[in-house]
Amino acid sequence: MDPSEREKYQAAIHGDREAFEMIIRTHSRTLFAIAYGVLQSREEAEDVAQDSLVKAWKTRWRVRDPEKFPAWLATIARHKAHDVFRKRRTVPLSEQATEPIEPEPANTSALDQKLHSALAALPELHRAALTLRYFEEMDYRTIENSLGLTNGALRGILGRALTSMRKQLRPALTPMD
Amino acid sequence: MATIHDEIDSWLAADLHGELSNNERNALHAHLLDCAGCRKTHQEIKTMNKILEETLAQEKPDPAFEQRMLAGFRKRAPQRAGLVKLLVDLMRLRAVQITAVAAALLGLVQIGRMITGENATSLRKRYAEAEVAAPQPPESRPSQAGALGRSGGIAAGRPQDLAIPAPPPATRSKFREESKAAAATVAPDKAEQGETTESEAFAATPESPTNAEEAGKTRGESPAPALANRKLIRNAIVELEILSFDNAVQKITAVANEEHGYIATTDSEKQANGKLRGQVVVKVLPENLDLFLQKIRSLGELKKQTLGTEDVTKAYFDTDARLKNAHVMEQRLIDMLKTKTGKVSDLLQVEKELGRVREEIEKMQGELKYWDSQVQFATVTISLAEKDMEEPAAFLIRERAQLALYAPDVEKTYNEIKSLASPKVQITNAQLNRDYSGRVSAQMSMLIAPEESDGAIGRVKVFGRVENFQTQTQRTAQGGNPAAAGSENARTKRDKVELNIAISREEQEQAFQQTSLRIRTSSVDEKAKELRALTEKQGGRVRSSTFSRDPDGRAVANVSLRVPMKNYLAIMQSLDSLGKVENVSVQRQDRTDAQIDEANAPADVSIQVYSQGNIVTEESGLLATLRRTLAQSAGAIMWSLRMIGVAIAFLAPWAIAIVGVIWVGRRIIRAKR
Repeated sequence: MDPSEREKYQAAIHGDREAFEMIIRTHSRTLFAIAYGVLQSREEAEDVAQDSLVKAWKTRWRVRDPEKFPAWLATIARHKAHDVFRKRRTVPLSEQATEPIEPEPANTSALDQKLHSALAALPELHRAALTLRYFEEMDYRTIENSLGLTNGALRGILGRALTSMRKQLRPALTPMD
Repeated sequence: MATIHDEIDSWLAADLHGELSNNERNALHAHLLDCAGCRKTHQEIKTMNKILEETLAQEKPDPAFEQRMLAGFRKRAPQRAGLVKLLVDLMRLRAVQITAVAAALLGLVQIGRMITGENATSLRKRYAEAEVAAPQPPESRPSQAGALGRSGGIAAGRPQDLAIPAPPPATRSKFREESKAAAATVAPDKAEQGETTESEAFAATPESPTNAEEAGKTRGESPAPALANRKLIRNAIVELEILSFDNAVQKITAVANEEHGYIATTDSEKQANGKLRGQVVVKVLPENLDLFLQKIRSLGELKKQTLGTEDVTKAYFDTDARLKNAHVMEQRLIDMLKTKTGKVSDLLQVEKELGRVREEIEKMQGELKYWDSQVQFATVTISLAEKDMEEPAAFLIRERAQLALYAPDVEKTYNEIKSLASPKVQITNAQLNRDYSGRVSAQMSMLIAPEESDGAIGRVKVFGRVENFQTQTQRTAQGGNPAAAGSENARTKRDKVELNIAISREEQEQAFQQTSLRIRTSSVDEKAKELRALTEKQGGRVRSSTFSRDPDGRAVANVSLRVPMKNYLAIMQSLDSLGKVENVSVQRQDRTDAQIDEANAPADVSIQVYSQGNIVTEESGLLATLRRTLAQSAGAIMWSLRMIGVAIAFLAPWAIAIVGVIWVGRRIIRAKR
């Protein structure tokens, strides 16, 4: 982490609003991607990102080490997303039946549906890594920082995620060739 | 490149994402050329990657996403005002937190001390003050004591100078030494000071005969120069116990004459036991006082002696000086009158003034004369009391009797007792009471001459049945202490006997013995009548009787009767002839404290005469058993219902409390999520 960034985090931790807003500009998409990875719903993911930012601001003094600030933000987002996910799961079965998990089933093709279900089948961490990569085109280093992973682990995760998707979508893939 | 082949997925993914180094990429491409399977996978993954990029790009947030996030954040976490923000930010620092907690704790401690420690601090302060003050007394005490010692020496020295104008040189020097030592060394404590004054007082009072006698001898020859100008009033009070009052007064007169004094007053008083008590006031010359006292003491046993001196020197000479001035004033006024110049009114004024001055002169002269007389002679007040003053003169025996009577006719008895009145039997109080229920009782008090008392009391006792008779004798001493010596010689006198009589109706008396029994017989009515006749024959009375017959044909008669104890056995024996006697119970009252005429004491007998019914009761047979069983089971059911109610009343609050706790707990857990 370069010194200027570190300074920015430090200032945010000490209550510098401008520094924190800067962080919002640079990190909110990451948070969204993480939340989306868990929830696979844009609206909910956006809400989670928003909640996470507010919570982070209110509890910023808990962070001792500025280096860990991005990872900490990501953790908050993941927890928040899990909360939302858990709540969604406790919605009565009848409602769940009428409303499928996929939020926009209307304007998606058969391939999209298959893709989404394949995504849903992935472990959460894999999904988060994938969304970070494909939403924000993040390089591996940033993803590692956000999710608190090592380089090898991230490579493995992404590789396995892609393979798993590939295997699930193989019937759909072949006609495309 | 086995590793690449094994982990082809991650290699390919990294390649697609552009995360491979040049070397790695070359290695991967080399492997892909060799391995057909991996090539296929590569194709598939490329497609997959494309699909993902296309699909997920749609899901990507729009460009305004950051702005929305910022706006939402600004709305939900508004910026705080300067000071509050500063404070809030400050509070987040660990150091500030620790400081704040420490400050809060200190504040609490301080508050606690303010509440509880108020007294403690003031106490401590007081201790400190005491410590500061403590060293002072030891410093100041010697000087004080010294001053006291000195003044004591002077005060005690005065009568000494007066009483012994020329004491033997030995004692005198010794005394001087002592007082000097006391003054010079500053007596360190009060004990020593007390000692010195004591010794001085000892020397002053004529306790040692040699001292006083010597003083008496030397007195006439060398009058003390110091005494000439002093005006001292001396007086003494002596209490003596003597054998004979008259004898003592004679002796005192003789001694007074001897010592150039005289008897001023005497008074005496005869006590009830014939002993004399009195007071003699003797005036003697002050220089003869000690010798006089010495001689007086041999008259009897000395009980008390006090010696006092009053120094009126200052007042005397003040008055003397004022008198001289007044004389000068008088002379001047007289001169003014003699010249006779001025107005008449002025002369009158002078005349008036002259009168006032003369009056003053006379008053002062009188005062001086009085003092002269007081100083000239010392006053000795001698209280005389003959021996055995406390011996009682006589004893009085007073007898008091209480008599409680039961009479069949209270009023008649009351009148009969009243008729006993005679000069020797005085009725002091007679009272006949009738209460609202018609019960009559009487109370009488009489005083009987001692010689008549036994006879009169005996006559009264005959009028009724004596329930209680108590006498009480009191011996009182007249004119003295009964414990004093010589009591056995005193005369004894009997006073009038006081007799208090309470008369009540016989019915009110509690039975001495109570008996209850049942008699079973076939003809109740007849037997009850027989019983009544029997009672009258035995000198008893039927107090109450009832008779009842129930529908079953059972008849019951309750008869309660009272007989004198002497006839009790006879009536009990005759009861056997009436029928079968059952359930006899006897209860006897032990009245040990009272003197009871047992033969005439009343005995109550309550008798139930009953017969068995003609009809067989329903309490046996199938129906009755059934009814009983049903009733009992109904009772049991009611009892268990009640017990259930009790159990519910016990458990319900607990159940409600537990449910409440669970509900609150659930709410809390839900709120946490």
